[in-house]
Amino acid sequence: MRFFTFLFVSLFSFCSPKGETIKIKGSDTEVNLAVVLAEQFHKENEDVLVSISGGGSGLGLASLLNGNADIANSSRSMKQSEFDLFKQKNIEIESFVFAQDAIAFVVSDKQTIDSLSSNEIAKILSGEYSNWTSLNQSSKPITIYGRQSNSGTHDYVKSILKIQFSAYAKQMNGNAQIIEAIKADASGIGYVSAGYVLNGNTTGIKVLSIYTGNSKAVSPLNAKAIASGSYYFQRPLFQYYKKNDYEKIKPFLDFEKSVIGAKIIKESGYYPVNK
Amino acid sequence: MNTKKREQIDILFKFIFKGTGLITIALLAGIFIMLFSNSILFFFKISPVDFFTGSQWDPETHYSIQPLLVSTLLVAVGSMLIAVPLGIFTAAYLSELAPKKLQMFLKPIIEMLAAIPSVAIGFLGIVLVGPGLANIFGIQNGLNALNGSILLAVMALPTIVTISEDAINAVPKSHREASLALGANKWETLFKVTLPAALPGLIAAVMLGLGRALGETMTVLMATGNSAAIPEGFLDSVRTITATIAIELGEVPYQTTHYFALFAIAALLFMITLVVNLLGEYFANRLRKFHA
Repeated sequence: MRFFTFLFVSLFSFCSPKGETIKIKGSDTEVNLAVVLAEQFHKENEDVLVSISGGGSGLGLASLLNGNADIANSSRSMKQSEFDLFKQKNIEIESFVFAQDAIAFVVSDKQTIDSLSSNEIAKILSGEYSNWTSLNQSSKPITIYGRQSNSGTHDYVKSILKIQFSAYAKQMNGNAQIIEAIKADASGIGYVSAGYVLNGNTTGIKVLSIYTGNSKAVSPLNAKAIASGSYYFQRPLFQYYKKNDYEKIKPFLDFEKSVIGAKIIKESGYYPVNK
Repeated sequence: MNTKKREQIDILFKFIFKGTGLITIALLAGIFIMLFSNSILFFFKISPVDFFTGSQWDPETHYSIQPLLVSTLLVAVGSMLIAVPLGIFTAAYLSELAPKKLQMFLKPIIEMLAAIPSVAIGFLGIVLVGPGLANIFGIQNGLNALNGSILLAVMALPTIVTISEDAINAVPKSHREASLALGANKWETLFKVTLPAALPGLIAAVMLGLGRALGETMTVLMATGNSAAIPEGFLDSVRTITATIAIELGEVPYQTTHYFALFAIAALLFMITLVVNLLGEYFANRLRKFHA
């Protein structure tokens, strides 16, 4: 299987003798955004091909390590264990933050609560609260709809809350499946990328505002709050690359930093880093 | 000259065929060696006792196969509970009761079930069976073991029907005639003579169907919810061994404990399906001998 992929890729690259291909792999959160950026980029630089695939942040980093990608999209920073693997192979890695993302916690619009604290969310996701009793007096069980463990969103939520996910949490295939499940389940809670909710998938669901301690509750759909960094579940989106490849991928990184790039990032529901 | 040339061609073809045969065996041996050598590396790091007795699969901290194994078996056994009666009765109908024309028409249709890609069946599980189960049982979400069992039953059905039908057909006509001559009616003949006589074949059919259900990945990955707790019933969501490998292999850094752990569970799954398939083949062979 791997051999055929390799064969296909090499055949494909022979077909475009004058251009080069930048291969980008990784986070499913970033894949849609990256595709739009790459399309626009290709319009302006016709001799450079950019190929993009998803599969999860961990997969992207593994592909970068194994030489199957030039850029790894990652919606989390690299783990120490991953750093060590790159070190073992003597590969120098650099990172670039190209956008900010926020995680939205969603519930059914039949749910009575509008906001939760980060502590309450931690208790829900770790399974400490198995029903809604202490939150809104209803005795319904909480069903958690999360992502699979190869998702950067999953890892991010786990590490920022410093919890282990409840073993009863369902692991869905993606943002869309989570939203659909929440629409049908009045006592469920799930997490998705705010970008996904921003682009008009809000019928039947409610996006929770989040507060920590005594601070004011902030909605992930509030761009100003994100820009000032006051939403609890916001994170930088990284692109990792090998230092040796910098010349090859520089044009694409420059494009992402440009005005057009920032505009695309905004339209896709993320928050550009340079306001 | 002509003879010599023919001999050379003979020898050449002998080598080619020997070669292709050996390649197949080498492939199997290669897979076997790779699975088990990597599994052994895993057991250097995690004790087999923890692996088999723990109750949590949570990579990097807990590696216990129990929830995965229970999930896999629950889904597979559940699918057999649905598919076995359905499959065997269908086969009995096809070979004993259906008119010849209807039989010629139905059999290819049932076999066509096997041609539906597993991802398409998984898709039906998400959009059709899942919401349906949620409605019927009044639960919040239909992505659970029962959903997986229903879908796998559909997928195992063609195997079970085809092999069972062959087995029932292979029962000599004289058995039925003797039974009818003794005054037994059609149903008594079917349940007390024909089906028992075909039993080894029916067992083979069930075993091969079970092998298919155990190894299926995409459908269960999509339709069972993938939560890694030990399930308490068919309405709990489960995570099978195959789904775990599919989800986690993409993200795992190579040559780590987690990576070896996936090989270990794959090796275990391999052994389970191997035993099930060997049993199936053993009974199928008994049927063939009986037939000859």
